[in-house]
Amino acid sequence: MKKFVAMLLAAMMLLSMTSAFAEAEKTTLTMWCIATESDANRPAYEKAIAEFEEAHPDIEIKWEAFENQSYKTKIKTAMSDPSTLPDIFFTWAGAFCGDFAEQGNVYCLNDAYKGFADQLPEVMMQNASYGENGDHYAVPLTMNIVTLFANMDLLAQAGWDHVPTTYDDLIACCDALVAAGITPFGCAGSETWCVTEYLEPMIEKTIGYEALNAIFAGKATWNDEAIAKAVDAFQEMIVKGYFDPDGLTLGNDQVKANFIAGKYAFYQNGSWNCGEINDAEGNFQVALFPVMDTEKATYGQVIGGPSDSLAVAATSKNPELAAQAAFELGRAICHYGYLAGSGLPAWTPDYDTSAVKPLVADVAKIVAESEGMVLFGDTAMSADPANIYLNYVSQVYGCEIDGAQFVDGLTNTLQ
Amino acid sequence: MKKHWSYRLSVFAFLLPGLILFVGILIAPIIMSVFYSLNDFKAISGSDMTFVGLRNYVELFSRQLANEKGTLFANVNYMGDALVNALVLGALSVFIQLPLALIIALKLSKGIRGERAYLSIYFMPVLISTVIIGQLWMNIYEPDGLLNAALGALGVRDQVFTWITSHIHSTKMPFKGGWTGYKETALIAAFVPILWQYIGYHMLLMYAGIKGVPADLLEAAQLDGCTEGQVNRHIVIPYIKPILKVCVIFAVTGSLKSFDLIYTLMKDTRRAELPSTLMYKLTFLNNRYGLGSAIAVVLIVLCFAFALLISLAFRDRGEKVA
Repeated sequence: MKKFVAMLLAAMMLLSMTSAFAEAEKTTLTMWCIATESDANRPAYEKAIAEFEEAHPDIEIKWEAFENQSYKTKIKTAMSDPSTLPDIFFTWAGAFCGDFAEQGNVYCLNDAYKGFADQLPEVMMQNASYGENGDHYAVPLTMNIVTLFANMDLLAQAGWDHVPTTYDDLIACCDALVAAGITPFGCAGSETWCVTEYLEPMIEKTIGYEALNAIFAGKATWNDEAIAKAVDAFQEMIVKGYFDPDGLTLGNDQVKANFIAGKYAFYQNGSWNCGEINDAEGNFQVALFPVMDTEKATYGQVIGGPSDSLAVAATSKNPELAAQAAFELGRAICHYGYLAGSGLPAWTPDYDTSAVKPLVADVAKIVAESEGMVLFGDTAMSADPANIYLNYVSQVYGCEIDGAQFVDGLTNTLQ
Repeated sequence: MKKHWSYRLSVFAFLLPGLILFVGILIAPIIMSVFYSLNDFKAISGSDMTFVGLRNYVELFSRQLANEKGTLFANVNYMGDALVNALVLGALSVFIQLPLALIIALKLSKGIRGERAYLSIYFMPVLISTVIIGQLWMNIYEPDGLLNAALGALGVRDQVFTWITSHIHSTKMPFKGGWTGYKETALIAAFVPILWQYIGYHMLLMYAGIKGVPADLLEAAQLDGCTEGQVNRHIVIPYIKPILKVCVIFAVTGSLKSFDLIYTLMKDTRRAELPSTLMYKLTFLNNRYGLGSAIAVVLIVLCFAFALLISLAFRDRGEKVA
């Protein structure tokens, strides 16, 4: 009996040593992202990570999610000491990631991309490609554009059965809505990026996407009378009461809730809202802001593009493995995010898309037919000019400066 | 002689841990901030640090800047207005917050019924997280919030809105009840909760001081026929002068450093900018660490200067300032 117990104990010891050894062999990859509990993308991240860990039992993903605004501070602080960075981190494309890549803090993904090139069109990688050779530094997740959401029930009350597609029609529609006691638009003034969701499409539909791209890229100045006119047109809409005056102090969540509750006829914001608005009660449609200058712009020109991305820290102990994981996770997050309606696919779908929500499908159609794209201004520009630009945008929405002052200020400040 | 040196060595050995902490946590960061403020850099590892001398300070205090072509433009990072706002907040703290705290402390220390309960109630806002207080006041200031509802209930809502509209110069938009959305109202809206939150803190300090006034002094004054007001004016307030001095220093330096409540109350702090909110924006949003460090240095200097000035103002004849 004693021998049996001794053998049993020895076997158990051996087994625990083996499992400890196996445990030690497991590689851990750390990841930071902004998919907090309340984020629309949270379920997509959870499913993607679970799927990845199941497919790679020898890899464990340890991930932390941070609130959007505080994450911007956290990641920038971590960049001052790259040893504190996780293996994989969420980033916005454009100049945000460009600042980090420029200093060599982001691992180049050119080699890893080769294995996924047939599923991820190179054009989707462009917003996070830098340097003379256009090296790739981040994996796009979903892509989004600025979309004009319309509450068709409210439009019907003002005698409109369709979303206006010309600027004159939009103004006539807004007049009819105001006459019917309905507020046409809601815009969150306490979050300036929400104001850019109105102003940037208006500028783009006045000067054209190529001109706006050149300005955001620093290749042209803001010194254009047409921009001043677009800004004045935006302010005229505010002064005429087309915008909810309460919006000046409200946050985006409140404004979106008001729109869903039927307080506004229109809400112009990112297409990541499609899922939530689609699932809400009511009759909603999506469209684009109409053209303001038909000589320079077309209806199909949009603001947006792939921006939400995953990047790999240059200080990662397993950069190749982390790069592979970033691509696989990016693909899966895109997949589940698209089906949930929190974005459009940056990756070519190789799965059944029949369950995609109608509003998301409509936006996908708009993107497929788009004639030009301009990345969101605060993402396209690097940190300092972007925040100076946001400061001026905030002053425009508060009617503290007019179009000419906006153009003069930005021309001289960002020269 | 040997004993003398061994005594000195042991004193030094005992002081060393504290000294290391003091230098590491307070002095070194100040020196680093001064160094950073003289440079232009992004604080991203690998980025260049360019020595610019006092240029960051010049930029902070220039209402207008000139670009490469020599054209003048408004400086959106101008610190002057933020500093004036902080000083106004400091003045309001000293002349409204502290007198209110003193009145409450004097009343409570007289041993009124429910003294402990009142103390707890007045001190409660200090214990509550600033984020919660920010959310609470956001609900008060919202266009459909408590403040506008109260004005409506009193039947003066439209009159108040019209009066404010006639006094708003920063925008051509009429005032529609968004208290944090207009430059003229945002600042006041932000200051009220800051003042309200810390009344209890100062009250408790003063209350503790008043309770320490010797009972025989008070009794003697009462026997001499002094009224309550006279006792407070000639005995209690002079007796708690050191505590009043500490309160004034806390109120003024606290106003200069104020950040959390304004940041919680309005995500876009542009309309009620304070030095700390500007510092946060420039450092973490604009990536201009040199400029942000310059604000930090200005705040450190101002805090020390005000602490010294206040100590001088409270100095008794012949007393040395520590």
